[in-house]
Amino acid sequence: MIRYLVRVVAANLRRAPSLYLLTIVGVALGVASVLTVQILNQSALAAFTGSVQAVSGEADLSVLGRTPTLPDSLYPAVLADPDVAGAWALSRTSVTLADRPDYFLDAVGVDFFAPIRIPFVTSRTGGPAVGATLANPAAVLATPGWTAVSPELATELDLAVGDTFTVTSGVRRARLKVGALVDFRRLTPLAGTRLIVLDLAQAQALLGEPGRIHQIDVRAVAGTELDALAGRLRETLGPGVDVLSPEQRTQRAEGLLAAFRLNLTALSLISVFVGLFLVYSATQASLVRRRAEFGLLRSLGATPRQVFAVIAVEVALLGALGVALGLPLGYWAARVNVEVVSATLTNLYLLDAIERLYVPRALFALAAAIGIGGAVAGALLPALDMSRRDTKTLLAAFTLHERLGSAALPLAGSGAALLAATGLWYVVGGHDWRGAGFVLAIALLAALPLGTPLLVQRLAALVRITDFGWRYSLRSLGVRLQTTAFAIAALGIAVSMLVGITLMIGSFRRTLEVWVNSSLRADVYITTPSWRGRSTEATLDSALAAALAALPGVRAVDRLRGFPGYTGERRIALAGVEMGIPYDDSHLPLLAGERTSALAAVHERGAVLISEPLARKTGLGLGDSLPLSVPTGERRFVVAGVYYDYSSEGGTVILSLPTLNAAFGAGPVNSIALYLAPGADAEATVDAIRARYPDTPLLLRSNRTLRAEVFTIFEQTFAITRMLQGMALLIAVTGITLTLLVLAHERLSELALYRALGAGTRQVFGIFVAEGIGMGALGLVLGGAGGMLLAAILILVINRAYFGWTIQVSVPLAALAWQAASLLAAAVAASLYPAFRASRTTAAELARDDV
Amino acid sequence: MLAFDRVSKVYDTFASGSRYALRDVTFATSMGRTIAIVGRSGSGKSTLLHLAAGIDVPTTGSVGLFGRPLERESETARTRLRRDAVGLVFQFFYLLPHLSLHDNVALPALIAGERGAAVDARIRQLLARVGLEDRARDPVQHLSGGEMQRVAIARALLRRPRLLLADEPTGNLDDANGRAVMDLLLALVAEEGTTLLYVTHSREFAALADETWEIHSGVLDTG
Ligand SMILES: Nc1ncnc2c1ncn2[C@@H]1O[C@H](COP(=O)(O)OP(=O)(O)O)[C@@H](O)[C@H]1O
Ligand SMILES: [Mg+2]
Repeated sequence: MIRYLVRVVAANLRRAPSLYLLTIVGVALGVASVLTVQILNQSALAAFTGSVQAVSGEADLSVLGRTPTLPDSLYPAVLADPDVAGAWALSRTSVTLADRPDYFLDAVGVDFFAPIRIPFVTSRTGGPAVGATLANPAAVLATPGWTAVSPELATELDLAVGDTFTVTSGVRRARLKVGALVDFRRLTPLAGTRLIVLDLAQAQALLGEPGRIHQIDVRAVAGTELDALAGRLRETLGPGVDVLSPEQRTQRAEGLLAAFRLNLTALSLISVFVGLFLVYSATQASLVRRRAEFGLLRSLGATPRQVFAVIAVEVALLGALGVALGLPLGYWAARVNVEVVSATLTNLYLLDAIERLYVPRALFALAAAIGIGGAVAGALLPALDMSRRDTKTLLAAFTLHERLGSAALPLAGSGAALLAATGLWYVVGGHDWRGAGFVLAIALLAALPLGTPLLVQRLAALVRITDFGWRYSLRSLGVRLQTTAFAIAALGIAVSMLVGITLMIGSFRRTLEVWVNSSLRADVYITTPSWRGRSTEATLDSALAAALAALPGVRAVDRLRGFPGYTGERRIALAGVEMGIPYDDSHLPLLAGERTSALAAVHERGAVLISEPLARKTGLGLGDSLPLSVPTGERRFVVAGVYYDYSSEGGTVILSLPTLNAAFGAGPVNSIALYLAPGADAEATVDAIRARYPDTPLLLRSNRTLRAEVFTIFEQTFAITRMLQGMALLIAVTGITLTLLVLAHERLSELALYRALGAGTRQVFGIFVAEGIGMGALGLVLGGAGGMLLAAILILVINRAYFGWTIQVSVPLAALAWQAASLLAAAVAASLYPAFRASRTTAAELARDDV
Repeated sequence: MLAFDRVSKVYDTFASGSRYALRDVTFATSMGRTIAIVGRSGSGKSTLLHLAAGIDVPTTGSVGLFGRPLERESETARTRLRRDAVGLVFQFFYLLPHLSLHDNVALPALIAGERGAAVDARIRQLLARVGLEDRARDPVQHLSGGEMQRVAIARALLRRPRLLLADEPTGNLDDANGRAVMDLLLALVAEEGTTLLYVTHSREFAALADETWEIHSGVLDTG
């Protein structure tokens, strides 16, 4: 049996390598897209977990501020608890390299006298030895800027122990000295390499603020009930802090990332879905060619079960080959895309960048199971079909797909019923559930293939045959439904995704354009490089801010101070703004509230404006009160308006700068925006500022540059979406090739008949290409309809539930037309090879069945 | 009009080496004749018809069709010649199940790019002649074997071929239906003035032709 199989596979590989290769490619693409997405998902989480573990790996609990910083006076209060075995304060600052403003480092300030295990490694030039604590902390403290860096970072920046390097935090520059190499990966393999460690007091002085810390890590006395300790600490330290275990911190990140990860997972599942279709057609292809062989096996006494087993084992083998190809492909795709995903995480979710791919072994196992299982599942139907057919039908030349033909109507009926039931469910109560949009989308994508056979059948029947050309081809499509409907449905699903996502992205982009046009009004935006790392310490000093405002040609100035905050358990962005010019009508478009009175309330009565996503997620509206965590506990602010905002899905709150300073304590601003006098040139002003402050780390952007940057970030956010979309489409187009190859084999006698009746090779070629185009066109029709519905679901339901943005629907006609044209071109390309094969059929093939 | 001159056809088979399907076959037919070919299974009857239709070319010798030596024509030219001047009828009918009677009969015209009222009239005429005019729009799936072969004959005659080749046209039919199909075939070629070569196993049906030829192991005996 096994030997028979091996020989069969080898023989078929020789006879029809294209078919086998396509099957393998289909499985490989499906596997790869799942693996890519899962690797990226896991890596995003791991980046966060890694930084938690590397810094707080020894801690049982972490005390974290609900406001940007904590006073270090909390430290003794923590130590005073009898169940606390040890505690150490940390400061954490995002800094950038002075000569590489986009290279961020996570600077952690620690108290070297605290009982932390830092895995110092012996450096090349003989630094401190490996040990539980530093051999001589006092010496470290005596060295200004003493910093421990990871060996990888030292290699990357070409630094050795004793070398110095300069970083910036806000407008400050700090010279740091490599004091030791420290390998955080000994603590946790997930640790990033961009962690640098320095003395707490020095970190505060050089990069942050004296007396302010970000975190206190706590180790409990053995056997302590951690929940109780956490509760007690929370009580002692007041409402301004959270006390969390490392697991809870990771969970928070998971919560933040949920929408992002769900989005990717849903997309990758669609690739698998479409991949299954491909495997199905490929299997069918390889089986149809060998119908006679199975007929023979059966007539020699093989039972249906044996025939089925032969097929199943063979397909599993193909699946395994596909997996073998898909795993490296998926890994490679993840590597290629990690940067854009990482950028999305930092830009949109204010989380740690992914520095390294994290690939748990289990992921490979999962992808392999999906590949092989998918192949077998995809083969199930054709294999059952093949093994159940009686010997005579297997040996006969003209087989009809009557069964699917008669099932077309009930299938379409069940598809319609599914849509109706889901729609009803949504209207009646499903819309209250956040995931409802995905249920709608899945129902739509499931109904699409169910309706396909009927559509193809009816459309084909409508065609009147008047020549041996495209009409004839269209009619033929309706005949072998079991083969053609599958390919068309797969294509329809892929096109739905393409169209749906294109419409969504196009609408989103257009909305963003309108929004950016109205809200980015200033001419020059000034901030510091480390601000992009969302560091609270990334501040402009007030003297500089005042000097910039006083530059010639500057008409007015907006000031902004911003940092992350909390409303309840929700992490949001807070922005204290001081507006230099009165906002005109289009500035700061409001979704709810009247502009003049809203702005008056914000400036005069300490009210706030909340962003649309925040309003949707919290259910807060005009006149409601928004609780915000402030250093003294919680304060409530009246919501004076809801504004459109597309800069963060987490939600933002705008306060007036004085209100923010009063609530959180005064502090310098993070960014200012300059309005220039009429006629002044923004780019020239940028150059002038740069020339005037050559040594100050400033990030200067003209209005134009900033806009361009917004759209770069936008494109980054959807880059991975587009890639997955492309993969699904590639799989679907491959499906056309496969289906036509199946048809070329299945219809051998029919093609031979055409040749016997005098059809030339070119005519047969043309018929096949026309069938390919026909499939492409039908896929377009189906996908176009499905895509519009999908876009509606994406924009109106899923986006609202997960992101909370209002997106104005706009149809990117040019993009859609281009896609339709490329798809048809792809369909033509996909049919060339099968058409060539079909055209090689000779009239003599008829004779074979005759004898 | 159809002339074989010392035609041999050798098949190289992987298992048993080369093998003569036809050996030194020479004959000539004149316009309007009907010829029956008889012989055992595997004796080379189908091979002879294939060579005559230009579906295949001889290994040696020459096949002349309407004065043109087929073995010197290109594949495309042979296909054109077959399309325009040769009609084929098969044992297994080879009707396309997804097309109606009308469209099955129309197929040669479609392939040749002919259409219009004349073609439609011809289809109607032929369907009437084979007794199926009122079922023109039906799918062929539900026809009986005899009816299917009648449709196939109508298809073969659609473009008024000068030569009609029928390979065991009654091989799949019972005696009564076979007889009816034979009678119809012979009547039609007589009306149209078509030359007919047909293969049959039946002595009775062979006797209906003007001449009967026999093949033994690839060697033709024209009596
Ligand atoms: N394509 C082919 N390849 C190899 N041998 C063939 C082929 N076609 C026919 N033959 C052989 O040629 C001989 C004559 O075949 P055929 O003309 O079909 O016989 P008949 O129609 O009289 O039954 C048979 O032995 C057959 O096996
Ligand atoms: Mg024969």
